[in-house]
Formats: sequence, structure tokens, C-alpha cells
Amino acid sequence: MASEKTMTRTIRLRVNGKEHSLDVPSRRLLVDCLRYDLGLTGTKEGCSVGVCGACTVLMDGQPISSCLALAVFADGKEIVTVEGIAREGKLDRVQQSFIDHGGFQCGSCTPGMVVTARALLDANPNPSQDEIKEWMLGNLCRCTGYYQIIESIQGAAGEASDA
Amino acid sequence: MTYTVVGKPLGQVEGPAKVTGAATFTADVILPEMIWGKVLRSPLPHARIVSIDTKAAEQMPGVLAVLTARDLPDTLTGRVVYDTPVLARDQVRFIGEKVAVVAAEDPDVAEDALALIEVEYQELPAVFDAEEAMKPDAPLLHPDYRSYPHAPEKFFSELPNVHSHVTWQVGDIEEGFAQAQQVFEYTFTTHSQHQGFIEPHASVVSVDSEGRAHLWISNKMPVRAQKLLADAVELPQEQVVVHPVCIGGDFGGKGSLMDAPLCYHLSKRTGRPVKMVMTYTEELMAGNPRHPATISLRTGVTDQGKVVAFQARVVFDSGAYAGFKPVPIVNIPGANSAAGVYGTPHVKIDAYSVYTNCVPSGHVRAPGDPQVTFAVESSMELIAEAMGIDPLEFRKRNLVQDGDLLPDGHRLEHVRIRQTLEAAIESSNWGKPKAHPHVGRGVAASYRHIGAGEANAEIRLESDGTVKVITPVPDTGTGAHTVLQQVVAETWPLPVEQVQVEARPELFETDSGAGASRVTYVVGQLVKEMTEELRASVCRVAATALECQAEEVVFEDGHCTVKGSSDRTLTLAQVAEAGSGKPELSIRKTQVNRDNPQVTTFTAQVVELEVDPETGQIKILEVVTSHDVGTIINPIGHRGQIDGGLVQGIGFGMIEEVVMEEGQVSTLHLGDYKLPNIKDIPPLKTVLVQEEIGPAPFQSKAIGESSITPIAAAIANAVYDAVGVRFYNLPITAEKVYRALRERDSNGE
Repeated sequence: MASEKTMTRTIRLRVNGKEHSLDVPSRRLLVDCLRYDLGLTGTKEGCSVGVCGACTVLMDGQPISSCLALAVFADGKEIVTVEGIAREGKLDRVQQSFIDHGGFQCGSCTPGMVVTARALLDANPNPSQDEIKEWMLGNLCRCTGYYQIIESIQGAAGEASDA
Repeated sequence: MTYTVVGKPLGQVEGPAKVTGAATFTADVILPEMIWGKVLRSPLPHARIVSIDTKAAEQMPGVLAVLTARDLPDTLTGRVVYDTPVLARDQVRFIGEKVAVVAAEDPDVAEDALALIEVEYQELPAVFDAEEAMKPDAPLLHPDYRSYPHAPEKFFSELPNVHSHVTWQVGDIEEGFAQAQQVFEYTFTTHSQHQGFIEPHASVVSVDSEGRAHLWISNKMPVRAQKLLADAVELPQEQVVVHPVCIGGDFGGKGSLMDAPLCYHLSKRTGRPVKMVMTYTEELMAGNPRHPATISLRTGVTDQGKVVAFQARVVFDSGAYAGFKPVPIVNIPGANSAAGVYGTPHVKIDAYSVYTNCVPSGHVRAPGDPQVTFAVESSMELIAEAMGIDPLEFRKRNLVQDGDLLPDGHRLEHVRIRQTLEAAIESSNWGKPKAHPHVGRGVAASYRHIGAGEANAEIRLESDGTVKVITPVPDTGTGAHTVLQQVVAETWPLPVEQVQVEARPELFETDSGAGASRVTYVVGQLVKEMTEELRASVCRVAATALECQAEEVVFEDGHCTVKGSSDRTLTLAQVAEAGSGKPELSIRKTQVNRDNPQVTTFTAQVVELEVDPETGQIKILEVVTSHDVGTIINPIGHRGQIDGGLVQGIGFGMIEEVVMEEGQVSTLHLGDYKLPNIKDIPPLKTVLVQEEIGPAPFQSKAIGESSITPIAAAIANAVYDAVGVRFYNLPITAEKVYRALRERDSNGE
């Protein structure tokens, strides 16, 4: 509420392998913390209600909607955003495959798609089409109609991450 | 023809930036000292504003400014007609209209401050239905609409709330009906669909010390946005500088200023850069969704099954403002395709765009087409059945042909609807036995013109030997920049990596931007001509340096070489150095294509689906989408347009609806407004009926607004085939099918 003094908390988190310690208002959303406190604007906010998946990041390896998570929940956690998928300037197979197979057009769902797809292939290197659909259900794309996203993930399947 | 770069499946030039998160969208722009704006919206559909008290909000810690209409110049804005206030002045006309704006250090603080603003309203009678709004006793929303800047005088109407009435006709409709032995009348209605882009509208404005407004905006026509902002805030156009950003999905909806004038005023007031990002709830209550439509058809047919007269009355619910419509008629141009893919000799189409106290409607991919195509392609089935003719045969008897004149004045060339339709049928299970009793098949077809407009470009040889194209057209995700790169590389020829495309809208004064399936055609054609011109200049410079004739210079692997002597060669960087300062190595041009080409594009689709008679659930078993195409410049992007448009069309046909009750949107987030997800997509078979004839470079054609159009009608026809229930309105949800089946069963059929 406007009349209350804003509470802040100090949190420590690891984002894309880098340690951060920062003071955040207790109601700060993780997506805003990543984008505006840490400057990692790769993560997008679409629907703000955990439906579209554009804001997906990995928290301790699991995909979560950063628009629904408070920044304080990330205290002590390991976060991977889309900026942390490529290593040393080299695109991850998933990223290259999205380019080669037309897995995006406008690119606003892409950070969430790439992060979620990377987590899928880490958990299941050879997913079936149904398994891809099940896993990617929480990521909406308006441009592609999803067909080329499925092909992008299939194109990156079969081998371990380059990381 | 065989090509080296054209036709190759090149990934988008923006690809590496987009997959790593490096691409900058408007909401990603962060400037030093930047603050946030949030708007207070009207809770009433039609009311007089009696008073606004902003004192408590102003005093809240962290709030830097609170503005109402009284703080702003008395201007109106819009994409063509200027009828929309930046903030409501004395009157609100829809639930969601902007009434006040707050700037604060933090978006959450700005949001909190909105709750402290007190507005007293006096409610006015409201009207929520376009047909009702046209009646004599309806409340008038805009009594002064004729005086609005850029109101289309030619299309004024005497009917209440009708701000544009356009008639398209061919032949003599009375004579047509006189020739008909049978006349059929049907009425169809369609609903409001949001574009569904994942990036909500965003704007950032920073007013610099010289008073210039720097603008970052999710707008696919950034050059036009400079002009619109200048007019809205009363600045000279050269004082507005638009900065290029990626657009996170457009689908026709991102051509307005949205919150940019408010960002300007807040920035001017506070001396800080101001960002405003709409929430998705704001998108759904105050975006610019597809026009709901009522389409009444009257069709005259001879006993031989020939359609001789076709009359359509199309009423579009424009909502509270017409300012989101980007065309000079300030109406929905797709209405002119209401007669469908048929060569009917006598046609009259009347389109009325009508003010109501609903969310203002705007353009959505193929504006008007899915609405009227649902109507005409449903009606063709109804008429065929009534006359005892096979619906496919009935269509084939009436298909448009070479030389036919369309109601919009087009005389068509290279008409390929027959092949396109036949290919769709042949690739489907049409006519084959069905696996289950509640399986149905439906067909529908449409056409879409290739867009006209103004193109601008600059092309130059850079000192490092790359050829750079500067375009005002932003990246909206369609792959336009990649296509332009391919056009230049193929035309020259050069290795594709040696061609760069950069969006710099601020360098141009006018431009049509992206839209209407225009860019590959109008920009591609211009850039192709400019490439030839620059190449000729480069040859002349190289010839001087190589001491040969310009005609002897050839390009191999990105080098200039004297024909037949491979040792006499220069890199393009060396040519650039030799020609340094020569004006002919940098060309800038404008070209206006006023009319759509006579060649158009056709689409035919067959849907096979199964209806669960217990629940009404529709499961699509297969879609065949057949397209009349020319040369395909980039097969990845081309396919992406087909796939994406199709799924968007399925959403329109079956799932999506901005539900409004008395002007109040009840689908206020993406949990309630359902976009198709990855499990909703059907097995898809795409058929490309290819012939190298097209007005765009290398005999190519448009594709962006094709697949979205017939699918809803094909679904409706397939549902009828499956369970015998005909739907006259969209979307065809499971609930509607369920209710229709129960109603039919209770009637003892």
C-alpha cells in the first residue's frame, strides 16, 4: 500500500554463474529484478500472469515464470536466463537450431522458449513430439504456429548441450 | 529460374540477437534517470467527467507528475482520422479510456498513485451494438465527427454514429437480381479478436535539452509515428527522432502512438525519460482488436447454379474511436472481398464503420477478410445445399477468372484459384470414406491482394566493402530484413554476408512502413532497382581503377574482376576506397506504388475434424492449406507466415474472443483470453501451387495475410458436415457446439 513504508530485503543469488547481492523491495518481482536491477532485459514480460511463458527462467534448473515469482524467492538460488544459454560467445545448439528452423519470428517469446527447450533437452535429450508439446505447453508463440518451434527442438535433440 | 541466394533457407538476420536476449525491444530500453508512467482508465462506458482530484496522488512520495487533459494541448490523434483524445477531455466513451496519467520513480508507485485519484462522473446513455448505434434514437458518440482532422468527407453518412460508409460495386445489382431465379439471404456475425502479440505496446520518450523528443515505440510504421507524435503534442516533425527497436509481434495492431504522447508530456514536465508499458490487461481492455462484424448477404442465382448478383451489407463495430484505422477510407478494406473468389458479374458491397461505446477496434492481419470470408464461404454451402448442387461443384461453376473485374476495380490477371482449390481437395481426404460417424470435412477459399504503398531506401558501398541497405521499415518478425538482404545479394550477385540491412527510420520523412503484405513487393522492388544502379556505379569506379571498360567488370566471390583476367581484381573495399567521396556510391530513393497489382494471391483450405457429440469438443484431424505462390525468396520465413497465420485463424474460428458485456471486457488476461498453444495445433499439410509469376522481386508474391482467412469458414463447413449444425456466428467453441446439439436434440431431430 502507498501509505506503508516499502520493506526491502537483501538477497543473494547466482545469475548465469555470477553472484549478486542486492537490496530489493519485498514486493519486487523476479522479472523486474532481473531486467531492471541486473539489466538482463533478455527475459521478457508478456502476460504478467504466468500464462505466456515469455518470462521463463531456470531456477535451480527448473523452468519458472519470473513474472509470478518474487525476487526474494530467488534468495540463495541459481538462476539461468536466456543470456546464460550461450557460452563464451558460442550459441547453444538449441539457439542455433531455432535460427536454422525458423523457431521464432518477432523474438518476444524466444527467450522463454529457448530456456524452456534447453531444460527439456537437459532432462530428456531425445523427446518425442508429444513430449515436446507437453513440456512446451506453458510457452505461447503468436508468430510461428509452433510447427517450426517443434522442429527447432527436434533439430537440437540427440546430443548433449555444448556447455 | 535458378538462383543462388533467393530460395535459400536463410535464418533471420536478427536471429543471433533474438535467441540470446540481446535484441532490444521498446520495453528493454533503459535510459539514465528514467521514470515510469501509468494511466488511470475509465470504469464507465459513456460519461461526462464532472471533476478530477489529483491532489492525494501528487503528494504521494515517489510521484513526480500527475496529468489530466487540462494539462495538455487540446489535440486529437489517430492513424488517419484524428478523433482520439490523448487523455479524455470532459467525456469518456469506453471502459478503459485514459483519464489521467501518473509518473513515478517506480512503476509500482505509479500504479499505487492511480488509486488516489478521485474522478466524479455523470453517466450518459451508451450503445454497445453497431446495428443499434445506427438507429435514429441512438446516443451520438461524436456529434462533431465531420470536423475531425482527416475525416473522410467522401464517405460521410447521414446515419447516426456511422463515421464511414464505403460502397464497392461492379455491374448493376438490380439487373443482376432481375436475372436470378432464386435469391438467398443470410446474416452472419463475427467477434472481437486481439492480435495476441506477446509484446504489449510500449513507448519511451526522452525530451532533450533542445526540446527534441526521442522516441522508442513498438510501432511498425516508425516514420509515420514521428509525424503522428509531432501532431499530437504540437511539435514540428523534425523535433521528433524515432529510434529503431525490434517489434514484438504486430499482426496489424502496432501502428498507433498508444501511450507515446503521454510519455512526451510526462518527460517534458519532469525533465526525465519516461517509459510506459501496457499490461496485457490493458491490451485486452483498450488495445485495438479486430472489428466485430455483422455481414448480411443477398445472393441471386440462376437455375443453372450461376451466381449473378451478390449484395453485402457489412457493419463493423468501430468502438469508441476510429483512430486505429490506418487507411484513408477509415473503414475496413477487407470488406471489398465479401463476394469471395467468385466472378459474380453484379456485386454491391456496403461497409459501414460505426461508433459504439466499446473498445476501439483496429487492424488485425488481413483486416476484414476472415469476417467476410466466413460469411460468403458459409453462404455458398447453404445455397448449394438448398439448390441440391454439390458445394464444391457449385464453387467451381462460379470461380473468378482472368479478366474478371472485382468490386474494388481490379481486373485480375493470372488467376489461379481453380488450381489452388483443386490442389487442396486432392491433397485432402475429400470424398473418401470417414473413419468415424462424427467426422466432417469443410472447404473454403479466399484471395488477398499484394499491398501497395510508399517505399524508401538508401543503399551504399561501405568502406569495408559491404553493401548496406538503410530502410525505415523496422523488424516486426516477418523476416523482411533477411528478404531484402537476399534480394540485394541475388541481384548483384554478392555473398549474402557482404550485404547488411539496417533500420534507421529517423533518417526518413515519410514511409508506409510494414503492413498489408507490402514490404517484399514495394521495398523489395525498389531495393532491387537500386542494387542494379549501385552495381553499375561500382563497375564504373572499378573499371577506372582496373583500366578496363565498365562492361568488362564481373563480380565473383565478392570481388570485382576483369572478365577473363582473374589476376586483375579488386575487393569491394578497394573499390570503395577508389571511389571515396563519389556520390553515386550512395543512393537514396522513394517510390510510390499507388495500386495493388492486378495479380493477386489465392488460398484454399480443407479441414477434417471430429466433433464429440457428448461435449461439443472439436478436434481438428487435419488441415490442408493450399497457396498460389510465385518464387519463394525465403522458404523459412514463407512457411512461418503460412503456419502462424493458420493457427491465428484457428484461434479466431474456435477459441479466441474478447468478450464484452455492456462494453466491459471480461476476458482480461491471457488465462481467460485463450491463444492457441502448442497442443492446439492440428496436423498440417501445406500445398504450394507454384508458378513463377508475381509482381514482387524475382516473380514472388505476398503470403503474410493468406492462411488466416478461410480457415474459420472451413471449420464451420466441416462442423456442419460432421454433425449437421450450421453456425452463423464465431467463434465456434465447444460450448456453442454443445448447446446447438442439445437444442437440436430437444427439438426431436
